Amino acid sequence: MRRYIGTFTFVTLLCLSAVGCDEKLSDIAGPSTPDLEPSFTSIQQLIFETPETGGRKNCTACHHNVGRTPAGGLNLLHDVAYDNLVNVASAAKAGAVRVVPGSADASYIVHKVEGRPGIAGARMPLNGPYLSDGQILILKRWIDLGAPRN
Amino acid sequence: MRPLFRILTIAALVAALPGLAAAQDDDAALKIAEPDFTVISLPTSLRLPKFGSAFRVTHRFQRTLGEGDFGDLAGDLFGLDNGAVIGLEYRFGIVPNGQIGFHRSSRLKTIEFFGQYGMLRQERAGLDLSVIATVEGVDNFKESRSPALGAIIGRTVGDVAAFYIEPMWVNNANPLPSQLVDDNDTVSVGLGARVRIRPTVYISGEFVPRVAGYDPDVSHGGFAIEKRAGGHLFQINFTNSFATTPAQTVRGGTGSKDWYLGFYISRKFF
Repeated sequence: MRRYIGTFTFVTLLCLSAVGCDEKLSDIAGPSTPDLEPSFTSIQQLIFETPETGGRKNCTACHHNVGRTPAGGLNLLHDVAYDNLVNVASAAKAGAVRVVPGSADASYIVHKVEGRPGIAGARMPLNGPYLSDGQILILKRWIDLGAPRN
Repeated sequence: MRPLFRILTIAALVAALPGLAAAQDDDAALKIAEPDFTVISLPTSLRLPKFGSAFRVTHRFQRTLGEGDFGDLAGDLFGLDNGAVIGLEYRFGIVPNGQIGFHRSSRLKTIEFFGQYGMLRQERAGLDLSVIATVEGVDNFKESRSPALGAIIGRTVGDVAAFYIEPMWVNNANPLPSQLVDDNDTVSVGLGARVRIRPTVYISGEFVPRVAGYDPDVSHGGFAIEKRAGGHLFQINFTNSFATTPAQTVRGGTGSKDWYLGFYISRKFF
């Protein structure tokens, strides 16, 4: 009996040893946007609206309608950005949809920030610096999760 | 360092548990059908006698065997010219039926700590059953730590063969943060076998299908030919991955046509 108590204790301790390891999202997001998460609020704030110290311009530097027509017909100011992105056709490329909920690969915004062949115009942000691989990964994850208004 | 602390705590507690010091079979005696502590990457249920130890060095040469024609392959000495993923492993019997050890792989500078405890013996239960717990981390255990828990169900057939079924749960198998992935864990069921074809020559094979969770690329598999010489075992293997640890194993191989040559030497000190 003592043997089985010992064995049970051993297995229990082993189970306890194996609780909860994970990678840090901030390592993927990068030093300039360590708090970036796959949520619309986070992407809106840290990608669309905030320039980075490394030189990347905020998207809303061009994609706004204050005294001008938004670049590419896309207004990314925070009150209207979601409704201009999700399930909305691109104004520049026929047949393309800016954000297809659940499919980052089919979403034109991903094609634009990755600079994929076949995009209309230039890779975004215009003339760079571009989003990091980690930032794009987080953007894609938000889309793959269904692009919720969160 | 929390996982390391946990493992060391477990080791200390196990060593202190008098209830675990049950009557021991002669684990120092050679088990002819089960001559080593691993098949290729999968652990076996072979037990270390108390205060016994064993050492293993692994090489997986990084040239895919299918690249180019046979002349190219021979010209690269079947991959030996292309460098190898090298692993060093040491294990120690801390209590009867219980062993701990570590494995260091040059692949991403991975360090693995493990503990294994034999709970049932085939002589009495019809099957050998061991539990195993490991934790590994890359960059010398500083990053991307992946703990794993599993069982090794083994059965030898006379002095001829040994068979293994090894369900294993690996946490943090996915190298991406859990916020970015659907699955961060993997459950696998490793299948292994070793058959003695000559008095000291064996062929062995293993396949580790992922049954749930994160399962990129192809499942790890391999086969080998081995020669036992005293306390040594020499193994030439062919695998579809560089895996030598549980997390590496469940991450699988690089492609269905990618096979690599490997060479292991292990030595028992008891």
